[in-house]
Amino acid sequence: MSLPRSIWKIAIAVCLAAPFAQANAQGTTPGVAIVRGVVSDSTNHAPVIGAQVIAVGTTRGALTDTAGAYTLRVPPGAVTIRVQRIGFAPSQRTVNATLDGTTTADFVLRPVSTVLSEVVVTGYGTQNRAQVTGAVTQVDGQDVQNQPVAGVDGALQGKAAGVQVSQNSGEPGTGISVRVRGASSLSASNQPLYVVDGVPIANDPLAQQLFPAGSEAPTAITGLDPNEIESITVLKDAASAAIYGSRASNGVVMITTKRGQAGKAKFSVDLSTGIQNAATKLKLMNATQYVTYMNEGAVNDGDGIQFFAGIDDATSTDWQDAIFRTGPIQNLHMGVSGGTDALRYNVEGSFFKQTGIVIGSAYSRANARVNVDYDATPKFSLKTSLGLSRENNDRIEGNNSNDGIVTNAIGQPAVYHVRNPDGSFTSTADTTPSNNSEVYSNPVAIGTYDRLPDVTDHLLGNIQGDYIFNSHLTLTGSAGVDILHDNENQWRSPLVIGNYAYGAHGVAMTTFDNTNHYLLQSYLTYQGGSEAGSSLTVVGGGSIEYNNEESSLLRGEGFSSPEFQYVGSATNLVDFGGIPTANNLESFFGRANYSYKGRYLLQGSLRADGSSRFGINNRWGYFPAISAGWVLSDEPFMGNFSDRFGQLKLRGSFGKTGNQSIPNFAALATYGPANYGGTPGIAPLAFANPNLKWESTNEWDAGIDWYPFGGRISIIADYYHKLTSDLLTRRQLPCTIGYCSYFDNIGNVLNRGFEFGLNTVNIKPSSRGGFSWNTDFNISFNHNEVTKLNADQPVLGDNYRDISRAAVGQPIGEFYVLHFKGVDPATGDAMYSDDRINAGNPQPKFFGGLGNTVGYKNFELRGFLEFSHGAKVFNLMRIFADDGGYSYDNKFTYALNRWQQPGDITDEPRASFDGTSGGRVISDRFIEDGSYLRIQEITVSWRLPAGLFAARGLTNAKLYVSGHNLHNFTKYTGYDPDVNSNGTSNIDLGTDYYAYPRARTFTFGLSGDF
Amino acid sequence: MTNRLYDFSSRMATAMRNRILMPALLLAIVAGCNGLLDVKSKDTIPTESAITDSTSARAAIAGMYHGLQSLSSYGSDLPEVGDLSSDNAEFSGTSTSYGEIDDNIISAANTSVLNIWAQAYDNINRANEILDKLGALTNLDPATRDELQGEAYFVRALMLHDLVKYFGDVPIRLHPTTDPNAGATITRAPVSAVYDQILADLDSAASRISDSSSTTTASGGAVRALRARVLLYRGDYVNAEIEAHAVESDFTYDLAANYSDLYSATGNSTPEDIFKVIATVHSDQQSFLSYDYFAKALGGTYLLRPTSNLLAAYDTADLRGKWNISFAGSRRYGSKYRSITGTENFPVLRLGEIILIRAEALARTNHLPEAVAEMNRTQARANAPLFVLGSNNQQQVIDAIVAERRLEMALEGDRWPDLVRLGTAATVMDIDPTQTLYPIPQSEIDVTPGLTQNPGY
Repeated sequence: MSLPRSIWKIAIAVCLAAPFAQANAQGTTPGVAIVRGVVSDSTNHAPVIGAQVIAVGTTRGALTDTAGAYTLRVPPGAVTIRVQRIGFAPSQRTVNATLDGTTTADFVLRPVSTVLSEVVVTGYGTQNRAQVTGAVTQVDGQDVQNQPVAGVDGALQGKAAGVQVSQNSGEPGTGISVRVRGASSLSASNQPLYVVDGVPIANDPLAQQLFPAGSEAPTAITGLDPNEIESITVLKDAASAAIYGSRASNGVVMITTKRGQAGKAKFSVDLSTGIQNAATKLKLMNATQYVTYMNEGAVNDGDGIQFFAGIDDATSTDWQDAIFRTGPIQNLHMGVSGGTDALRYNVEGSFFKQTGIVIGSAYSRANARVNVDYDATPKFSLKTSLGLSRENNDRIEGNNSNDGIVTNAIGQPAVYHVRNPDGSFTSTADTTPSNNSEVYSNPVAIGTYDRLPDVTDHLLGNIQGDYIFNSHLTLTGSAGVDILHDNENQWRSPLVIGNYAYGAHGVAMTTFDNTNHYLLQSYLTYQGGSEAGSSLTVVGGGSIEYNNEESSLLRGEGFSSPEFQYVGSATNLVDFGGIPTANNLESFFGRANYSYKGRYLLQGSLRADGSSRFGINNRWGYFPAISAGWVLSDEPFMGNFSDRFGQLKLRGSFGKTGNQSIPNFAALATYGPANYGGTPGIAPLAFANPNLKWESTNEWDAGIDWYPFGGRISIIADYYHKLTSDLLTRRQLPCTIGYCSYFDNIGNVLNRGFEFGLNTVNIKPSSRGGFSWNTDFNISFNHNEVTKLNADQPVLGDNYRDISRAAVGQPIGEFYVLHFKGVDPATGDAMYSDDRINAGNPQPKFFGGLGNTVGYKNFELRGFLEFSHGAKVFNLMRIFADDGGYSYDNKFTYALNRWQQPGDITDEPRASFDGTSGGRVISDRFIEDGSYLRIQEITVSWRLPAGLFAARGLTNAKLYVSGHNLHNFTKYTGYDPDVNSNGTSNIDLGTDYYAYPRARTFTFGLSGDF
Repeated sequence: MTNRLYDFSSRMATAMRNRILMPALLLAIVAGCNGLLDVKSKDTIPTESAITDSTSARAAIAGMYHGLQSLSSYGSDLPEVGDLSSDNAEFSGTSTSYGEIDDNIISAANTSVLNIWAQAYDNINRANEILDKLGALTNLDPATRDELQGEAYFVRALMLHDLVKYFGDVPIRLHPTTDPNAGATITRAPVSAVYDQILADLDSAASRISDSSSTTTASGGAVRALRARVLLYRGDYVNAEIEAHAVESDFTYDLAANYSDLYSATGNSTPEDIFKVIATVHSDQQSFLSYDYFAKALGGTYLLRPTSNLLAAYDTADLRGKWNISFAGSRRYGSKYRSITGTENFPVLRLGEIILIRAEALARTNHLPEAVAEMNRTQARANAPLFVLGSNNQQQVIDAIVAERRLEMALEGDRWPDLVRLGTAATVMDIDPTQTLYPIPQSEIDVTPGLTQNPGY
């Protein structure tokens, strides 16, 4: 769908009319004045390098050099010069610049905590951390680079209080869930809104048509190269996020990419290479143990034994070893940035490649970015950001599939070999005894013959113009695009015996999915007053978004040769599909910030969103928010508190945000296609709800920001209470009327919790190259509870065993299964309760991260721990791998602790081939403790001595060696407790159904600037 | 050069500020306003404008039959549970809902049972939509209106009968609704009232349908065949015999030369077909019967399989035993449906069943020699030993016909409702009598206060 013609006409009119318009003043060339000076540190008078110096009210800016000196060209007259740098409090002064003359303005900056000096990116603007009244966490780009995960969302794990990142699967390039302050939705998306350089991008799991429901999905943010990121800001509470209105319920992640600075062209290179291996292996039985156990199960039930000691266990195959391999991982990033006062650029490109630790899987990505800042005049500047990426993801059939490689490797008993003597792959189809309904396809065959390449192209760009009327008023207009093309192909080879494709003589599928977002927005910013006295900032504007998506699918079966792997060669076209869909959003927003003496802070905002998704009776939603802050330490009655104990700010906020990620046409009553044989047909599809609207979250937040001991400690803590109501649910109808459900808004979910972030400078270097030690720590507690559902009816998850549900009074995803009461010492039978109980919460009680950085001379050591406590994991693999011997699957070795004779006290039931000991009943016997403490990263880096390569122009050169996911302390018996095989489901959480294991990585890298 | 650029851009900037930019951008936003938020879907039609003429009416009829292809209807579940609950088939897979059905200990939360209920009522709603909307159309010629409404009555009758066979008392739905609170007034109608409605619908269908040749949509023969079955179930043997006889003599149906012809992978029709649900290779029209019964080595899922009891019931010469049950290695599996791509049309009504209905009706009205002659027809076709009347009494003849019915209709979903109808389900399966009816799905009872649960659940 293209933009309406009216918009294009106006845009063209603007572009054409401008050159022909006459200026109504100034016929002469304006002159230029020069302001220069030196910026130094108040404590030791050392020069402050890299400080930003801006002429307020113009586009003019500069950076201080290695001597702390700067030069600015400004229009003559009174001009306010403002200096800021991370680690120092900002300072500004007004000087009178003389035409064609030079004015000197020196600054002395007072050091403060790094956190306090941050410039925080908010919606439609920025704010100094000192002025912030909401709950906002900022993560530096450095902290998400050089991580062995494809996307920035994975790299955020453990780095920000209140942000829970789960890696549902170890498969490269997919499977990350991000939750800000808990999950609140059952049917709409729980992912936060990502805004990249001002353009909101949709980060719902990409519609993938070739995978079973609920399995892992890639998301759009994986295409963004973490090396391009300058900073990431997470807007957590309603007050900070409400400016994004109906998309802000789940928090907003603002990503800003790096821009060029004026100066000589600087080339940067970052090259790293490493290897990955499976971090853990499951403890599964070998052939001898398997034969012993299975035979005992047969004898116990009076059946004939089916395996023969000495023959079947003569050799033992470790199937995990057969599918695991060492996977290399490489990353090359190069960039050049620089420019003049008027034109600055940042051009970068990178290539990332990760070969998966499971055969058949790999991921690679190529990125390019061009960011240009052009200060056309002192009043008008243009910023363009353009990012391109192509991802090649060789996927494998995985979670939620009985045809997966990992699934079959774990299921295959060790008595079977990988290959026959003639080299062909074995298959248990012919060899398994007759009772068996589960035949294991050879996972090495699957990895060798089946293909699932997925290519995603992503274009993310925007152009923004800022017109500065004067030092108070700026008009910003921007246009952005987010275009994503995803092409998935799948080939399931008939050479893999036992799969559907074997009977169907090969299955090939191809899909194309194109998603387009166009954004037009414009807003005015007014800034008045001074920081010393009272100041007021007001932003107001509007935006329009056009979103559309089109997909197509073809599936063919019946191939005359396994070499023909594309749909075009199929005998039968068995399925075809294609869905066009669209939604539009129209918005108005405004925000005002008032601060008095920098001590009393007040902010209010309002956003109105109209969406085509909402029912006709509820087209528009309104989202207000208010927050206030009080810098208590600056109060006169506190005396010299701030000198002794640092700055202390109390803040509180209250606001309303929404979630509009409901299906595009959910409100309408429709008929859809329903063909019969070759006759075209239509049939009723959906029941209407003209009142359908967004989910709504009311949240209040109380927080403290404290920077004691001269800023050596920063503490940011928040308590929040978030009530989400009008949940989008499929409200049940009596199926008797022909529809079993329709979309309605009923249901409430409560999230409340506490976040704590601490940054400390434990040891400050006494001199350059001295010993330093910094710590950063964050921890979050969240209580999640469903407080209301339609008629108090629990909502089930998608897992067909119905183990997870959302029920009133319980957290989302509470496991609801029978209770295992133990093994009867007299019979060895497992005993269960009659009814299901609430058996465990998959959400953690608390989670967080602890990082330490130690430096000495040219060395730096960084260690990062990531932890989560209290979550439960349902180990679904045990339905087959710990079932008492009913199925032929290989078993966990702890099944060897089985009951064997009356009087045995154990938790493992009697081995029973007919299942009479009850081992395979689905119960909380399979629910395990998912708490863990992970050594996420240890990196040692060595800054090369300046003299070594200076002659070649290489500065800032650094060598580093890094290990990731080195060890995970946990009691969980699967691969990793941070898992969810139903990654795209909101209700099925913490289930492990043969999830792709996580890797341990060692990398070696070199980076430097030219 | 720099100065000129500066001058140019300065003038541009000034102009923009003064005249164009701000109003232009705001105008851009407002101009887009009209209709911006009314986005039309490109792959669905609003219900109000779905059925407007004979073309769309025919499309709606096709959509109604499509509902019978559903995996919760004749595409998989209905034929499967009909044998799984009985002594014909047993569960060999991993789904708990089918496990419960095999064990005859079904929880009211069983999802397969819910899906069967829901799809049957979905199909009834499709029929009701057509009946209501066709009644209101003015641009439809009466012959077409009758033909299409007749087909809708037939499908509604068929669905209601399937429901009453499995669940007992069920709600009767005769009109579509847009009221989300309709559940407040829905109640279960007693079995006799449901049968009355079914027969009334079949009468309405009979008087409207004139087609007698189609076997994949409702025809005159299909209406009478279904009526024969319904009357047999109701116990009205005299009229069941009349209807079955009419199907045999008033139409040109004949037994297929070979039993196997009925289940042809290419969907070929036979003279025995009365009403078959089409299955094609397209994934939303595929039958899953072969996929569910087939052994894994042959590419199936081996979800359920014929019992050894059924295997033993076939005489070694009976061609049906060989066709219906096969072995992959030592693994016994159901081989009635053989297309791994799911393209066999499913026989809902065929002459073989009509013959046995007539046989049983004759036997129950004490016309034993004629009853045996009928039964012999399917036995002869299958090369099975012929039953000889000899000194057998009425009950023995009836038992023999019931046994023959079991062999003839095996794996077509007939055995369980048959046992329930005969009142022998509890003894044959050794289960509690309350388990001869499926539970009303709990989730239905939760939103429909007027629904009571079947005893024992």
